[in-house]
Amino acid sequence: MKIKKLNIGILLFVLVGVLPFAAAFIYALLYSFGIIGVANNGFTLQFWKSVITSGTFFKSFGYSFLIALVAVVISVGSALWITSKFRQQLEKRFMSFIIYLPLAIPGIVTGFFTFQLFSKGGFFARISHKLGFITEASQFPDLVNDGLAIGIIFSFITMITPFFVLLFLNVYKNERVEELSLLAQSLGANANQITQRVFLPILIKKTWVLIMLYFIFLLGAYEVPLILGQESPQMLSVLIIQEIKQYDLDKISEGYVVAVLYTLIVSVAAILLFLPKRKRPYAN
Amino acid sequence: MQINWKPFVLSLVVLLILFPFVYLVFLSLASEWRFPDVWPSYIGFRNWVTVFSSEVGLLKSFFSSLLISLLVAVFSTTSGFLISKAVFYHPKKRILTLLAYFPYILAPVVFAACLSFFFLKMGLFGNTTGVVVAQFIIAFPYALLFFSSFWNEKVKSYEDLVATLGGNKWQTYIKVLLPLAKGLILICFFQTFLISWFEYGLTSIIGIGKVQTLTIKVFLFIKEANYYYGALSCCLLIFPPVVLLYFNKRYVFKKFV
Repeated sequence: MKIKKLNIGILLFVLVGVLPFAAAFIYALLYSFGIIGVANNGFTLQFWKSVITSGTFFKSFGYSFLIALVAVVISVGSALWITSKFRQQLEKRFMSFIIYLPLAIPGIVTGFFTFQLFSKGGFFARISHKLGFITEASQFPDLVNDGLAIGIIFSFITMITPFFVLLFLNVYKNERVEELSLLAQSLGANANQITQRVFLPILIKKTWVLIMLYFIFLLGAYEVPLILGQESPQMLSVLIIQEIKQYDLDKISEGYVVAVLYTLIVSVAAILLFLPKRKRPYAN
Repeated sequence: MQINWKPFVLSLVVLLILFPFVYLVFLSLASEWRFPDVWPSYIGFRNWVTVFSSEVGLLKSFFSSLLISLLVAVFSTTSGFLISKAVFYHPKKRILTLLAYFPYILAPVVFAACLSFFFLKMGLFGNTTGVVVAQFIIAFPYALLFFSSFWNEKVKSYEDLVATLGGNKWQTYIKVLLPLAKGLILICFFQTFLISWFEYGLTSIIGIGKVQTLTIKVFLFIKEANYYYGALSCCLLIFPPVVLLYFNKRYVFKKFV
């Protein structure tokens, strides 16, 4: 009877948690090979060849990868620095609420806010004009919809740094880094040694799965690059949706090729991250 | 004499955190704020009055978002809690957990684009039910994985104890499991509510613009270059989570942190 009940639970899990993903992947795969789709006439490798030879996917993937990497490295670095320097202050009553506030701001609002600050007619352009640095809006540097993705990276950093600060504060407390640091100090370690041998290894080791997870989330981010990105290259999700929503029917199939490639990369990352058996207290 | 720089940096951090909230409220109160003016030519409640007289349907979007998010949070938290028990007590739980991670880490907008055909066939395209179902599909793996740490040997031994003392399954849930998981359930409800409340890409694909949640409205106003209403929509989008965060942190996080 118990086994039967567990099986109903597993059946529901497969129905809600596995089936939609499998159906979406198979649909995209069949579409990418021309087996299904409005204008497709059966199996063909044409769309895969087209995507691979044009290099659109690789360019977009490389671009997304670099943006996500820069944003994660800066965010994790900043969060570690804030945790090491301001831990005691951040645990006080007022600050302990304030640091949660950025979690209430979604990606679309961050994108909109960044645009309002850094666009050519935005807040900083007005200040620059007032201070006499520029005389026209066009003289203000390209900080949004720009080639270097400064706006996107800025938004990503402001979105994820507060989360990492909260995470590191939590790990610091739970892993008793304070006590271990005192122990190291009493054994003769200096401040740098404590940071390099105690603080950083513990915090990074305990949270690296989550750091990787956030890297993957940023790789597939949609709202922020939609508002702050440029025409080409685009971040992966924006590229996929733009291709799938095209009126050019060949492009739709090519969009599904990119979607399949992206799903495969993300799935392989999930397998590498979550299949090996290890203790991951902060993974969820 | 060494200057203590920490209070200055901390004050700067507080200002930087509060700045977006203040700026968005300010922008929502402004009108006719053209470059290069540093101060808008109008500051007042005109935009808010217009919204509350429902000219632009923002209030409707607010309640629509609220309904969708509440439904998604209730369904995903309940099903996540109940189904996670079967998954995390299963001998193959590592493989099952991995399967749950696939939809969890895939970009929701890409997931929705690949699923849209099935939603169209099931009549779930362009309506609220479809958006709730689609958001539930992405919130469920989160809820399921969230409860992974709850189902452990200690909880199992409590269940066995209830059974030994003659309690039935219903009593196990009501008297033991739910009280034990109360804090986690609240956090999960809050998180899944936020997943739905903040969702844009998936809602735009499955709702095809017909289901106008607040995030959809924000994007519409950005496209129309109506930044004042855009800021107002942003205020409606971020202030409910701030209130939730306050209560959530005060009553729930305290027990865990």
